[in-house]
Amino acid sequence: MPKLTIDGKSIEVAKGTTVLEAAAKLGVYIPRYCYHPSLSISGNCRMCLVEVEKAPKLLTACSTEAAEGMVVRTDSEKVKAARRDVLEYLLINHPLDCPICDQAGECGLQDYYMEYSLKKSRFAAADKVTRQKRRALGPHLVLDNERCILCTRCVRFCSEVTKTSELEVMERADHSFIDLKEGKALDNDYSMNIADLCPVGAWTSRDFRFKQRVWFLKKTPTVCLGCATGCLAEAQHNENVIYRVMPRPNAETNTWLCDRGRLAYKAVTAGDRLAKGFIKNGLIDLEPALREAATRIDEAKGAVAVLGSPWLSIEDNAALAALAIEAVKTENFCFDFPAEQGIKDGILINKDAAPNTAGVKLVKAARGGISLEELSRRLLAGQIKVVITEARAAGFIKEALKAAAPRLITFATNRGEIPQGAYATLPYASYFETPGTFVNYQGLKRRTEPAVTPPEGVKPLWGLVNKLAAYSGDSLHLNSSEDALKGVKL
Amino acid sequence: MENILLKDNVAGLEGYFACGGYRPLKKALALKPADVIEEVKKSGLRGRGGAGFPTGLKWSFIPKDAPGPRYLVCNADEGEPGTFKDRELLLRNPHALIEGMAIAAYAIGAAHGYIYIRGEFAAEARLLEKAIAEARTKGFIGKNILGSGFDFELFMHSGAGAYICGEETALLESLEGFKGQPRLKPPFPAVKGLFASPTVINNVETLAAVPAIIEKGGEWYASIGTPKSTGTKLFCVSGPVNKPGVYELPLGVTFRDLLEKSCGGMQEGKKIKAVIPGGSSVPVLTAEEAWAVKLDYESLATAGSMLGSGGVIVIDESQCMVKLLQVLARFYHHESCGQCTPCREGCGWIEKILNRFEEGKASVKDIDLLYSVADGMQGRTICPLADAMAMPVMSFVKKFRSEFEAHAAGRCCAPEAGGGH
Repeated sequence: MPKLTIDGKSIEVAKGTTVLEAAAKLGVYIPRYCYHPSLSISGNCRMCLVEVEKAPKLLTACSTEAAEGMVVRTDSEKVKAARRDVLEYLLINHPLDCPICDQAGECGLQDYYMEYSLKKSRFAAADKVTRQKRRALGPHLVLDNERCILCTRCVRFCSEVTKTSELEVMERADHSFIDLKEGKALDNDYSMNIADLCPVGAWTSRDFRFKQRVWFLKKTPTVCLGCATGCLAEAQHNENVIYRVMPRPNAETNTWLCDRGRLAYKAVTAGDRLAKGFIKNGLIDLEPALREAATRIDEAKGAVAVLGSPWLSIEDNAALAALAIEAVKTENFCFDFPAEQGIKDGILINKDAAPNTAGVKLVKAARGGISLEELSRRLLAGQIKVVITEARAAGFIKEALKAAAPRLITFATNRGEIPQGAYATLPYASYFETPGTFVNYQGLKRRTEPAVTPPEGVKPLWGLVNKLAAYSGDSLHLNSSEDALKGVKL
Repeated sequence: MENILLKDNVAGLEGYFACGGYRPLKKALALKPADVIEEVKKSGLRGRGGAGFPTGLKWSFIPKDAPGPRYLVCNADEGEPGTFKDRELLLRNPHALIEGMAIAAYAIGAAHGYIYIRGEFAAEARLLEKAIAEARTKGFIGKNILGSGFDFELFMHSGAGAYICGEETALLESLEGFKGQPRLKPPFPAVKGLFASPTVINNVETLAAVPAIIEKGGEWYASIGTPKSTGTKLFCVSGPVNKPGVYELPLGVTFRDLLEKSCGGMQEGKKIKAVIPGGSSVPVLTAEEAWAVKLDYESLATAGSMLGSGGVIVIDESQCMVKLLQVLARFYHHESCGQCTPCREGCGWIEKILNRFEEGKASVKDIDLLYSVADGMQGRTICPLADAMAMPVMSFVKKFRSEFEAHAAGRCCAPEAGGGH
């Protein structure tokens, strides 16, 4: 356990801790570009140079291990001069096109220049090295090599995290540039993380480019519902529109996000987003749709089944359980979705494509219910005339639904989810619009916060359940997502 | 005194035998590896590639009980401008290198050695391959060398033309098949070198001196030269001297003796203006400084320069220092690997400033800018290439400022030298 001092403050750290990490523990921030906690140490940017007593030269804090008795200064004149010089070198060939650069506002060059330099460049603008700009690479990214500072985070990400090694630094000296390796395409499942990783505006996301200035964005914590991994994420939005989703790095689950999960937010404003209900193929306002659904449920009393969904929050599943038990008063309800869970690609993507398989188990534990097989059996035996479920969950009993052809009442956020042959579809608020609790494959409970409001008239699913029950003359008294839990312990 | 490295008629195996070749290997194999290292330590031999690190000490850094293989690598990627000594050694005495490597490998416990040879040395590589094959046929390389039970395989690998691959860790990257870029240190090659194993990397001239040290003893070697710069050194002299070439002389020889006794003095009518004493990367000396200096590690350090590779570049009065520095800057800009910021951006910037001087577009302010850009690069990079650019720039500006001022004022100091302005 070496003990060292950084800017006069002492700290004892575990062996192998770097000076940069030790400084962070003391609240001393050391600027860096190439360093990233989840990538190998490269030491190329030279921004983190610090002064270490008895060392003849400045040392890179990112690669220097803390040693017993080490005396480090991060605020000496020598260090400040080095930072100013490195910034000047980085900026001489930079295009300075901040006004049209998406990174502006969250750019490592802008931020550090303001903080550590403010020095006027001595470089003749006519001498700048020009490189290729605006090159679309892969389905999600654009590369501007002129803005690149060659920190190689992108190269290391592709070789160390996705292990797909698409990128390489070509050429030498100040004509070096990032390029695709021969025969490769930048289409791995995690490519958009590169835009996050890039400390400057070299890599930008094609989805986000030119949509919004970053300083207008508000940030709301959320959970990615793309699979059972349940990555922590952050929805960034302005004026009720989500513009991008970024990972919220955490030790338990994720540093990154997969591209599919990151882009899932697009369903919120997609062209097929449901703001009204459907009866058969006819668009209809929510209230008449609810009335129609309630009528069919009343009609089939005694032959109604309710199926929960691993795509819904615990609260919404609990509301469905309340609907079955307390309003419809049926024993035909199922909250049991066996699924194999675990990371399938060695990074983040889960074998279980549904986000809340583990959470639904809590509902089953509190409220009981039958198995999927039993539900299918009862359907095939003709005992069930109406099935109420979430659109994607209908897939679990697809064969039985096809054979028995009951009236299917589904909840959906987007038209594309509606299963074939659905009788009624009721639109509900997505989890970017309403809070919900989910349990990921590690058993970790995670909650989404609403980032935006749902389209006009669209309600949370538990609210629809409350209304359905009311139309049938039963009051469930569900006035909040907490009410919806009804005895299900989080 | 008799040459240790550059001898006549030893290029072939027979000639090498006639001079007692491969006797030292037999002698070394009868010693304990630690005793071989001890002998080299006693000799005071220092790295001849440029840095001058004590060779025996370097060998002793190989962890004694580390599991797995260890490697010996010979750096024959001689690319420093003004340096052409290893090439001469490879042509004239290849077996001294091979024998030196076998002895060094035995001392550090390496079963495999590599000679990384400059890509442009095609003829030299062919000769070296032939010499290695000869040594293998005679059992100096291969399994159970001279019945000692010691195995050592030696391979040659040609570089692809990058100056940076002469930097030892870039060399290792290149040898492993990657782009030649220096590695962050620590870990040092002695702990984690080639294929992540303990590795010793020595220059051709260093390894070639080892057989003589084993044959005649470390004390004998240490008696040559000065107390801290022992033995002989190959000096490569270029410029307008009567007999440019490679000369083997004891360290501590005066520049005056090298020039006048070995090289036959300056060409008719030529007068020295400056001397770069150790390859293009080291600080330049004025004529006055050069005439007074002894050529050894400490004396040159005291004079504010370095012994470096022993590439002595003599510059006469007719040359334009600005033009010369522009040529050097173009070289370092071209060869910077581009990995770390100060060198990648600084080398190009310096070349551009010097181009302005040559085009007559520079102002007096650019002189200080040039110095300051170089100063900002120094000591802040992964490898010494930035220093190799910065040191000549800073010393040229400091010692020949008037020539830069003349350029800034619109005059070239030596128009007949081909200065652009």
